[in-house]
Amino acid sequence: MDFAVQVNDLVKVYDGKVRALDGVDLNVDHGEAFALLGPNGAGKTTLIRILTTQLRPTAGEAYVFGLNVVSNGSKVRRLISYVPQEMSVWTDVSGCENLLIYAKIFGVPQLEREKVIDEVLENMGLAHVKNDLVKTYSGGMIRRLEIACAMLIKPKIMFLDEPTIGLDPAARKVVWERLNVFKKEYGVTIFFNTHYMDEADLYADEIAIINQGKIVTRGKSEELKHSLGGEIIAFTLEKTALKPDLVQNIQKLNFVKGVFEDGNLSVLVGDAESTLPDLMNFLKSEGASVEKVSITKPTLDDVFLKYVGTRLEEKGRISDVTHMRDMIRKG
Amino acid sequence: MMEGLKNMLVMIELELRRLRHDRTEIYTRAVQPILWIVIYGPVMSSVRAIPTGGVPYTDFITPGVMIQTTTFVSIFYGLTIVWERESGILKKLLVTPASRYSMVIGRSMASGVRAIFQALIILPVAILIGVHFVPNPAYFILAFIAIFFASGGFAAISILVASFMKTRERFMGIGQAITMPLFFASNALYPLQMMPPILREFSTFNPLSYVVDAVRGLLITGDLSNIMIDLVAIAIFDAVLFTLASVSFRRIIE
Repeated sequence: MDFAVQVNDLVKVYDGKVRALDGVDLNVDHGEAFALLGPNGAGKTTLIRILTTQLRPTAGEAYVFGLNVVSNGSKVRRLISYVPQEMSVWTDVSGCENLLIYAKIFGVPQLEREKVIDEVLENMGLAHVKNDLVKTYSGGMIRRLEIACAMLIKPKIMFLDEPTIGLDPAARKVVWERLNVFKKEYGVTIFFNTHYMDEADLYADEIAIINQGKIVTRGKSEELKHSLGGEIIAFTLEKTALKPDLVQNIQKLNFVKGVFEDGNLSVLVGDAESTLPDLMNFLKSEGASVEKVSITKPTLDDVFLKYVGTRLEEKGRISDVTHMRDMIRKG
Repeated sequence: MMEGLKNMLVMIELELRRLRHDRTEIYTRAVQPILWIVIYGPVMSSVRAIPTGGVPYTDFITPGVMIQTTTFVSIFYGLTIVWERESGILKKLLVTPASRYSMVIGRSMASGVRAIFQALIILPVAILIGVHFVPNPAYFILAFIAIFFASGGFAAISILVASFMKTRERFMGIGQAITMPLFFASNALYPLQMMPPILREFSTFNPLSYVVDAVRGLLITGDLSNIMIDLVAIAIFDAVLFTLASVSFRRIIE
């Protein structure tokens, strides 16, 4: 069975000098939401643009549902829909008209058009403004209209370049709930770039981190976090009556990876939730009484930090993009 | 093929929908040609320095001024394309199943539709000022078909230019540099015979002259002796520019 996306040793060099992609290998399963995380200039957008047949790779191969994106571009374009990072709707016609034009370009049969358009408008919460000119929409509404355009044709795969950038948290949640329903209902594969860690964490089935044109790691969010070594359970104990060899005894437990005593007792384990009851029982049997427990899990941020070396700078980046989108809107 | 034609019609539909929502540009762009007809025409005709073959001077320049306006509209249609490039619209369009050539020809013809409205708005003013038109509806229709197709060709020039000039400022500059020579080195304001020989040679390759000649014959003089040559010239012009613009269109998003 073919992968939804398969990329072998993909290289893209711009103008003979800028190496945007430097040997990317990747495959994405059917019906999966796949997130590509990476700092600015890591090659995320370039990869999406090659997969959507806009750019030709310098070397290597890319396939969408087994079709080569270079030699079979026109067939690929029938299977995909795409939301670019920049604003991509006509602002001088209504939301409904934007959808109508795309429905016609994609050849949605005349009898179904109206129904399909109403459905996606409803889905994206735009039904009440469908006849208003897009220039009167808020930034968030425009983004939702763009996603509605991509949903229109029930593609086999959607490529979304920063799908929720500039949306407020409530709107992002709504968009992702709709996308998830859409994904489940039609088995659509979703391939997206994002700057929001929590978005990748919550909504992606798999995540790949890209840096300097290379995939540095990939896996499910939980796997990536576990790969950092484990989770820390910190106990605040009553100071009295601590056995002197308590630390050594805990160390001997087979699920414990490390113990530190720095006023609190910190225990490094693989999975905090499943080991906590055992640890509590053990501490009780050793005569220690616990005042407070806290669990620290590694976040996707920590994963990113480990593999890329910097934290993902969300804020500056997001305001850049929203600013640019505003500029485009105003013409 | 059918699908290509269908996509072209969709692009034209988009333009009509845009026009339905906002026609300000059509009105503001009508100011200049109206000045030509209302002021420049009568003033120059009182001088009687330009041989127009018996036609009043204002009547003579009316087709020229109409074509000048529609050509400007088409040449600056590329600005829309540049805007769509800066936004993500072109990227998204190129990722649809629609072929490149249907996008290019469709957008060019969409500009042709805009040009028809732009030309139509000048007619009542010309009639008010006393311009005599040939009273033949078939001639009118044919004249507007000529304007439609010629404008499509000029819009294709602008799409071609837009694929090289990727910022609006550069595009504005080059747009002016194209339109003014086309206009002044044509028969829009004076017969070709009045031009110096070198310019006359140049105007043989100036598509604007053929359109003006066709429309002048159809609307004003009723002299159709050159009409076939004019229409064939427009057809060749379209074919060449549509091809060139389609070939270079892909550059636009790279």
